[in-house]
Amino acid sequence: MATVTLTNVAKRFGAFEVVHGANIDIADGEFVVFVGPSGCGKSTLLRMIAGLEDISGGEIAIGGKVVNDVEPADRGIAMVFQSYALYPHMSVEQNLSFGLRMTGNPKADTERRVNRAAEILRISELMERRPKKLSGGQRQRVAIGRAIVREPQVFLFDEPLSNLDAELRVQMRVEISRLHKELGATMVYVTHDQTEAMTLADRIVVLRAGHIEQIGRPLELYDNPDNIFVAGFVGSPKMNFIKAHIVGRDAKGVVVELAGEEKARVVQPLTGVAPEPGSKVIVGVRPEHFGVAGEGDADLTVAIDVVEHLGGTSFLYARTAHGDDVVIQRDAAKVPETSNVTVSIRKSYLFDEKGMRLR
Amino acid sequence: MRNRNATAYRFLTPYLLIFAIFWVWPIISSFLISFQATRTVPWRFAPGFNWGRLIGDPAFFNALKNTLLILVIQVPVMIALAMVMAVLLNSPLLKARGLYRFAFFAPVVVGEVAYSAVFRLMFSLDFGIVNKLLNSIGLPKVDWFSNVTPAMALIMIAVTWRWAGYNAIILLAGMQSIPDDVYEAATLDRVSKLKQFFYITLPLLKPVIVFCAVLSIIGTMQLFTEPFLITERGGPGGGTETLGLLLYRQGFRSLNFGYASAVAYTMAGLAIAITLVQLWLTREPK
Ligand SMILES: Nc1ncnc2c1ncn2[C@@H]1O[C@H](COP(=O)(O)OP(=O)(O)OP(=O)(O)O)[C@@H](O)[C@H]1O
Ligand SMILES: [Mg+2]
Repeated sequence: MATVTLTNVAKRFGAFEVVHGANIDIADGEFVVFVGPSGCGKSTLLRMIAGLEDISGGEIAIGGKVVNDVEPADRGIAMVFQSYALYPHMSVEQNLSFGLRMTGNPKADTERRVNRAAEILRISELMERRPKKLSGGQRQRVAIGRAIVREPQVFLFDEPLSNLDAELRVQMRVEISRLHKELGATMVYVTHDQTEAMTLADRIVVLRAGHIEQIGRPLELYDNPDNIFVAGFVGSPKMNFIKAHIVGRDAKGVVVELAGEEKARVVQPLTGVAPEPGSKVIVGVRPEHFGVAGEGDADLTVAIDVVEHLGGTSFLYARTAHGDDVVIQRDAAKVPETSNVTVSIRKSYLFDEKGMRLR
Repeated sequence: MRNRNATAYRFLTPYLLIFAIFWVWPIISSFLISFQATRTVPWRFAPGFNWGRLIGDPAFFNALKNTLLILVIQVPVMIALAMVMAVLLNSPLLKARGLYRFAFFAPVVVGEVAYSAVFRLMFSLDFGIVNKLLNSIGLPKVDWFSNVTPAMALIMIAVTWRWAGYNAIILLAGMQSIPDDVYEAATLDRVSKLKQFFYITLPLLKPVIVFCAVLSIIGTMQLFTEPFLITERGGPGGGTETLGLLLYRQGFRSLNFGYASAVAYTMAGLAIAITLVQLWLTREPK
């Protein structure tokens, strides 16, 4: 097993820089998820670790050894592609054994590895089939099996579940988790689905436009986001952002007034320098952090547009007097009958105008 | 519903009429003519007349032998060459790909007469550039037009020049439809580029290769332009006469349509037979 270390890694396509100096330390046996919106450079980063893309700047080390100039096959990695990339003209068994057969691996060992992978993934009955005759989930298993057979130190996954339907995705997610426990290998996993990231990862790397926005454990990112992007990306439904401005300071912290709500004030403890009174800020509130009136800061009345009942909980889609859209989570039993509701803010986050967290 | 179909057929009628008159009818008619003695007017029904003659005609066997010889040598060489060209065209290192693609395809659209004239000039005994080149590297001149073997070689070179690029473009399209990540997976599996070609590209390209082979076989069975224009009507002394030329000679020089029809049906039959064997040999394993 091995660590993976990225130091100031950059990638340029011509003059166009798509990854700007990424620094990531992945521990031995860790499950790290790269997450971010489409086009932010997740795949590019993963492919640089695999050696399928050249590195334009910086250094990548696997197991302590710099691999910038090491051939992909010699890096001790295996990759699972989003499109599976199975060999269409070969049976499952041949797909799994192809690499080993081509490199003259002893027959008995090849067989042992193939059988073990087939057992782990429960595809032993499918060995004679061609990929065309497999379901999406089965193809995905074969693709993972092909990676296992290589017995790599590091597994790389590029959105392996994005072609599966929702139910299968949940099931495969659990299987990948199980696989990680069983093999104990280092895994780097790319997705744009924050739920996948939250459920699978030991640590999450949030990327945007080629920059690392934050690295941390799933709950760290959830509880303590560095900026408005991470705050909005982690958690579902996403955090609400309400325009506000600073009015002053009191004993407990800085006092913020929500836009268009003269009586709705939030007090935020702040260790850093507080912005000038009057400066514009943004208050972030997660849907689950709205309470009933009087329960927290800043009672504000919102107009309900739509109510979604999911069973135990419900989501209220509403608008503030100022026109900001907000989503409020409520116990199904406490959903009001009226078209207006007064809520309080139990917990909030403060961001400056540029979107950086104030704390 | 029936009404709607009727309307559709009415719109198709002009096409179907022309198709029937100029396409279906000649096929049926020439089949019937092949059973008639057509050397003297009036034609009369004599089933054994043409087909019987075919079996014992040395000119037919000469043409058949030439055609098959060209087929057996030229088609595999051309397809192998086309494959090499396609691999080069597909290389990420290649600059100005569009230009090469056009250049390889261009011979197909060049007029047949112009192309034949240029080949005659290039291979002429005393002034041709080919003999000059041979001379300059110390080899003797070759009299391409007066000896059978060089003349056959010339035909094959010409046909290959004309159609190799065309086949390369088809193969290239096939190659480009193989996803990159399959090769990337193989690269990670430590499979060398050469092995990737033989174990991934070739098997996945098989249907396209078969398609090219079938097209080329059909084309070569009908080979006419090159022996007619370059080696002057199958010269020297019938040494490059093909079935296509024989058909032309019988039908349009001697006006013996019955025999020409029999030759035509033989050509078509052979093309179908060879193609079926080819398809059977390269069928997908169950
Ligand atoms: N070969 C290439 N040449 C030029 N630009 C490229 C190339 N490959 C990727 N890019 C650009 O690099 C950026 C990052 O691409 P990348 O594929 O890494 O995104 P991603 O985060 O994986 O997105 P997705 O979630 O859609 O897969 C994109 O803006 C893309 O257009
Ligand atoms: Mg991607």
